[in-house]
Amino acid sequence: MKGFLGTAVRPQLLVLLVAGVALALLVSANRFFAFVVGITMISIMWAAGMNLLTGYTGLVSLAYAGIAGISAYGTVGLVMRFGWSFWLAMPVAATGAAVVGVLLGLPSLRLKGFYFALSSLVIQTVLSLGFVYFVNLTNGDTGISQIPPPDIPLAGASFHGAAFDLLLTCAAWLSLVAAWAVTHSPFGRRLVAIREDEVLAEAIGIDVMRNKMLVFFVGSLFAGVGGALYATYVGFASPRSFDLLSSLSIWLMVAFGGRGTLMGPIIGALVLAPIPFMLQQYDTLKDVIYGALIIAVIVLMPGGVYGALLTCFRKAPAIRRRLLKHGGIVANDGSLRRS
Amino acid sequence: MTALFVARDLCKRFGGVHALRNVDVVQRAGETLGMIGPNGSGKTSFVNAVTGELSLDSGKVDFAARDITGLRPHKVAGAGLARTFQAVRLFSRLSVRANLETAMLALGDKAHRLDAAERADVLDWLELDSRLDAEAGSLTLFEQRRLELAVRLMLRPQLIMLDEPVGGLAPGEIRAMMQILNDLKARCSIFVIEHTMRVIRELADRVIVLITGEKVADGPPVEILKNQRVIEQYLGTAHA
Repeated sequence: MKGFLGTAVRPQLLVLLVAGVALALLVSANRFFAFVVGITMISIMWAAGMNLLTGYTGLVSLAYAGIAGISAYGTVGLVMRFGWSFWLAMPVAATGAAVVGVLLGLPSLRLKGFYFALSSLVIQTVLSLGFVYFVNLTNGDTGISQIPPPDIPLAGASFHGAAFDLLLTCAAWLSLVAAWAVTHSPFGRRLVAIREDEVLAEAIGIDVMRNKMLVFFVGSLFAGVGGALYATYVGFASPRSFDLLSSLSIWLMVAFGGRGTLMGPIIGALVLAPIPFMLQQYDTLKDVIYGALIIAVIVLMPGGVYGALLTCFRKAPAIRRRLLKHGGIVANDGSLRRS
Repeated sequence: MTALFVARDLCKRFGGVHALRNVDVVQRAGETLGMIGPNGSGKTSFVNAVTGELSLDSGKVDFAARDITGLRPHKVAGAGLARTFQAVRLFSRLSVRANLETAMLALGDKAHRLDAAERADVLDWLELDSRLDAEAGSLTLFEQRRLELAVRLMLRPQLIMLDEPVGGLAPGEIRAMMQILNDLKARCSIFVIEHTMRVIRELADRVIVLITGEKVADGPPVEILKNQRVIEQYLGTAHA
């Protein structure tokens, strides 16, 4: 990944790191709020990966949480059964999950738009059933509890409390840096071309299948790393954590914030990830709100919050240009009008 | 002269309909080849079939001394055979600049890329340099057709297949486009599908006539326009 370091020192990304760390430290005294922020950070990572698929390539993958689940169960298995270090288990499991994701996705990568989403929904359903069915590996519906947090290598300690929150903040930030690097590379350009017009992309020499497979792999890595962190952060993993609704809520974060922008997944995760915790007593209400938001976003705000912002500043080109530049949009804002 | 492009015995059926019936086409390097025929005679199917958009039932396609039969479209484009579409196809929500850059980055091999001077030359020639920041979809049709050409030239093609390059243009624009296509001959070989006889007559060194998927004539434009069968089946008796 050429230019990864150059990417990291970009001012807008550094501002995000400072803001994230400040937020994590600010709430660290209250464990409940700290936990909400931690989950939000994981959500940012998930949404950033989903954005590569949905926002930049036009692939709505509803099997996203399932792939996160494969990595989560894989990591937990390697750590709890074989005594691996988290830092060895997580990359292995996440890479494995990404490979599985590509293999499962292979037949559907020839499909576009709605049909791709539909086939990924089937894959997600099969994965969810798999999580319940393979009791030996997943402990079925009961789930795996008392998952140990990641170890701090060579120190004989492990991440917990504020240290874990900061770890998640850094992970979320690194995922944004990686997403920025991908979308600002020639590879990112090819992805946008595929989103805009697959036939034309192929006619000018872009290997559509290969690039779709690559982005599916990269996006699944985000899912996988997030899954491993999620399971160890919460200390518990069950099929419910990685079901279709989780996939949908990650998609919603991207669509709500603004597809195909750097800021979109951040806005979406910041607003939507805390909702389930705020409504803990009213669990069904959460799903109602999510459902209503999906409809509202599609009908009223197809470009998400960031797209709406751009529309607001349509008459102030200077601000608009800044938004476009720092928001990390490869295409112009027109790309926000439809998926 | 050596053949640049050779299509042998191409066949393609859609159910009971023969889109292509044993079509043979040979094009020499530097030659401008025209293809005419009534609607539905298989002209676009021919281009789709040789550029990998459509799979052939049988036949063989060689390009630049290489077998490209059945290659995927991106491989064909990478081999140096570019094509345009009948209805203009651009990344219409991206800027003109982004369209060109995407084409430059498409192949991913740097040796292939045009350098800055060559790029500037193409943009200057096609009069696109003042439109770089415009959204491609907001351009006039004539500008879009020119951008389409510029995008293809970013791939350094040896042969461009143009599907009705003056379709939908106003008379004055057609004249300007003819001039552009004449200049294009210095950059690469051209294969052009057209309805407008005048375009074919002025542009093509040789013309192939396709009727219901079958090649019925192949020769210099002047001869073809006198060919009795072509006149009857394509131009209509009023022309005779």
